[in-house]
Amino acid sequence: MYIVLALLLLIPSSVNLVVPIYNKEMPSMFGIPFFYWFQTVWLVVCSGFYLAFAYSMNKEEEEKNPSTTATGVPKSN
Amino acid sequence: MIGFDGLIPFIGLFVLFVCLGFYGKYWRRGNLDNVHEWALAGRKLGTALVFFLVGADLYTAYSFIAIPSGVFAKGSLYFFAIPYVALTFAIALITMPRLWSLSKEKGYITASDFVKDRFGSNVLSILIAITGIVSLLPYIALQIVGMQSVLTVMLSGIGNSKIAEELSLLIAFVILAAFTYTSGLRGATLTSIFKDILIWITVIAVIIVVPMSIVGGFDTAFKEIKKANYVTLSNSMVPAYSTLVLGSALALYLYPHAINAVLSSKSVHNLRLSTALLPLYGVGLAIFALMGILVFAVPSAMHYLSEFPESSRGILVVPSLIVYSMPGWFSGIALLGIFIGGLVPAAIMAMAQANLLTRNIIKEIKPNMSPQSEIKITKIFSTIFKFIALGFVFIVPATYAISLQLLGTIIIVQILPAVFFGLYIKSLRKQPLIAGLLVGVFSGIFMLEYANNFGVLTSSVFNTPFGPLYIAIISLVFNLVISFGLSALIHKKVMLSKKVKNR
Repeated sequence: MYIVLALLLLIPSSVNLVVPIYNKEMPSMFGIPFFYWFQTVWLVVCSGFYLAFAYSMNKEEEEKNPSTTATGVPKSN
Repeated sequence: MIGFDGLIPFIGLFVLFVCLGFYGKYWRRGNLDNVHEWALAGRKLGTALVFFLVGADLYTAYSFIAIPSGVFAKGSLYFFAIPYVALTFAIALITMPRLWSLSKEKGYITASDFVKDRFGSNVLSILIAITGIVSLLPYIALQIVGMQSVLTVMLSGIGNSKIAEELSLLIAFVILAAFTYTSGLRGATLTSIFKDILIWITVIAVIIVVPMSIVGGFDTAFKEIKKANYVTLSNSMVPAYSTLVLGSALALYLYPHAINAVLSSKSVHNLRLSTALLPLYGVGLAIFALMGILVFAVPSAMHYLSEFPESSRGILVVPSLIVYSMPGWFSGIALLGIFIGGLVPAAIMAMAQANLLTRNIIKEIKPNMSPQSEIKITKIFSTIFKFIALGFVFIVPATYAISLQLLGTIIIVQILPAVFFGLYIKSLRKQPLIAGLLVGVFSGIFMLEYANNFGVLTSSVFNTPFGPLYIAIISLVFNLVISFGLSALIHKKVMLSKKVKNR
């Protein structure tokens, strides 16, 4: 389960950071080169991934801890 | 210049904006003499409101003015703002729910509160507060530059337009200071919803009307930057692009005003959902960025821009594209959206600065302050900070302020080891974090000066054997090495001395 959650954030983020994936002109859309329209469309895709992450985290928390969502602080020695 | 048909909606909507700002005081009433109530709206904001409030941090003069002006001048490189917006919310989803929970439990209002409690160090918490305050100054100045550019385009053509411009800016600021003083974050939230509605109307209208009204649409517009070879990134600029994305994404949720907005959320669940939806805001940002290219296909706007010196054309791109391609009444609406799009974030940022100064610096020196005087000092300083930034803009030329936003990011990202890693990693110690923060900030500023030959700030990347990299990332690496390296050394020493004692 934790692997799936991590992938929901890692997949969209690695595309954002690995620039050569989208650093090209073709195929263009409505006269807009690939570089520009792909990154714009990818925003919407990212939001989809993140929503899946948020829903599953919220669900998991509710199952574990139905009354409270607060967590403790790591103490330094 | 816009005529009366544009001026009437502009002024009418501004009056409505002011009323909303003052009405904020009565909205979801709370005791505004309490810092939690004034600065965090009582931690009662739901999914939609936090969405708008954080969105207000994104949709600032940075998106309307700085990014389009960069795209106008350099093409693809400044499109980094789009993947940055996409990435930053992944980082927020990991860090912010935890910060929210801890803050709710222990009553933190700022990142410095957390750091003080977590590491038991006043020095570190004061340094983090100072870093936050300083990093926001250039960011607020950028907002004012954005407002100024709207006024320049609106008032050009009338006699004494410079005086009229400065006078209108001053009036806007006095009104803003008055309603943030009385209404706090509630006023800012209400007005940011109003601002966002106007901005989305503008974005949708421009992206439909402009490409259809010019022959060949985007094709014609891109032809111009194809000549300059800016359409995609050259191989050597790829490292610069991805470090600009990473550095900006890491920094957004370290800015004091962003943390402020997060902490005003009602629950962790709401916070997660609103954060997950926020990349959608970036679509509007992308459309604004494309306006920096669309303007090439609107000859009348290009002609108007050519009347200005080359260095100040960029910041006028969006307002002049709107004025020269939209009907007069509509440009009034759109220009007001951009104008208050600088005004609202400036208010939110000045409030965050004042919070830090009062809670984490003045209170450290005078710990027995009453809550009443705490809120009073916070309100007064939020006003003072606004006018400091305003003065800054009157003195420093516009072209500086835009690169100064990237300077703000170089500075604020240095609190990352203490704030983000401090949430999860137990082995970090206070002394290495202090050393790392100082080295990060000063090496960052030095590299920035060096990269610009100690002159006007135009570049924010530094040439390294790996290609040009965004300075925020290089100095953050120094900072991380020191913070973690020294912490590990101290940890080893403590373990050794424990062993000796046990013998």
